[in-house]
Amino acid sequence: MVRKNGLTLTDVLVTVVIALVFAFIYSIWGGVYTALEPLGLHLNQLLYGMWFIAAVVAYLIIRKPGVALIAEFAAASGETIVMLQFDVMLIVYGLIQGLACEIVFAVVKYKSTSLMVAVAAGVAAALSTLPLDWYYGYLGQLATWNLLLMFGFRVLSGALIAGGLAHLLYQGLKGTGVLKLVGQKATADEGL
Amino acid sequence: MIEAIRHYSTPADRVNPITKILVAVGLFLAVVLIHDPNHLFHLSLLMLVLLIVLSGVKIRYLVLLTATILFFGLISSLYMIFYGEGTSTLLRFGIVHITEESTVRGVHIMMRGVVLSFFGALVVFTTKLTDVFYSMMQQGGLRPKFAYAFMAAIRMVPIIANEYMTLRRARKVRRPLIHRKYISGYKGFSTTIITLLSQSIRRAYRLGIAMESKGFDDGPRTYYHRTSFSIIDLLFIMLVILTVIFSYQLGQWYSPFATTDAR
Repeated sequence: MVRKNGLTLTDVLVTVVIALVFAFIYSIWGGVYTALEPLGLHLNQLLYGMWFIAAVVAYLIIRKPGVALIAEFAAASGETIVMLQFDVMLIVYGLIQGLACEIVFAVVKYKSTSLMVAVAAGVAAALSTLPLDWYYGYLGQLATWNLLLMFGFRVLSGALIAGGLAHLLYQGLKGTGVLKLVGQKATADEGL
Repeated sequence: MIEAIRHYSTPADRVNPITKILVAVGLFLAVVLIHDPNHLFHLSLLMLVLLIVLSGVKIRYLVLLTATILFFGLISSLYMIFYGEGTSTLLRFGIVHITEESTVRGVHIMMRGVVLSFFGALVVFTTKLTDVFYSMMQQGGLRPKFAYAFMAAIRMVPIIANEYMTLRRARKVRRPLIHRKYISGYKGFSTTIITLLSQSIRRAYRLGIAMESKGFDDGPRTYYHRTSFSIIDLLFIMLVILTVIFSYQLGQWYSPFATTDAR
């Protein structure tokens, strides 16, 4: 088969499926997120990284331009697909977070799979939607300690879940041998 | 699945999916820019009316849906009600400090979510998921490989769900035999998700190769399912714009909130 550098249908399909697996898991365990909300102490922000973990995992696996953005779009629209719940906000947020990850990956030229890159992408995605939240949720009018709590939790979650956990999952997946099938092939003779 | 709970079809069914999505994005921007709670109050009411009239869904499901949307909307705005800044105190309890201003602001944030959820529900009830991708290819100029990859992946969701259930049952049966850490905690999480991911990647890879060799790739193609723009799209856009304007007028006429700026 002719090797193509751009995204092939298989790449896109694998990316979307990865995102949908996360969307599915999220819709099962998403109750936790909502259950943490009523306290208003932003404990739910600790799980915020789950929203964009798909982008980081998909990038680590496929390592091609555009993958993070597609994964994030798919994960966001995954809610519509899995739960039949259409939320424009989610999709707008997803696209922004995907773009933030994409920028980080572009900086390392889509090569590195180190933990630091994953963490950087997670933090970038966590920070990317703050301006929008600021307007939407009137965060400027929140008590300062509460705002800092939310901010801290979100960045921490971006680093730990979207960065650290994503990298751990990537290592685990590598162990299963399934990654030989997909993505940028380092050597042509890497067998199936 | 959706057809089962609908009892009539409406003109909204014939609106192009791209129009609906663009209108939804426009509505999102409009809602973020609205600071008058009275305006938003009437907008959420009118959106509910639109949902009831245009979705064609049986009323008892709509009641259930509305209750859920209101409940989750309230929960997600509690942080502002509890900890928002304000001067006229209503209640102080430990770190919780509820003021008049923060309550109005909290309700305002909740109504933003409610407006978008109502419109989102209308879109879901009147749109076929595959039509979204067909119209994105035919009118939106999306490359076919992206659209077909998405559609194929969507068909895999039930398989993923099935696999997850199998995995859970297998664990349930073996529960007395294996260590607890493989069921709960990080180990339990990672074994579940890595299993699901690796199986899905394998399946997606096989399907992807098959689809590529059958020509589901880029290039000129013809379609069996056709979507198009029509006069109904224009009417739909006008309807939503008029709703936003009309709700503003209503907000001037009847104001449930004393303030006109939630900030």
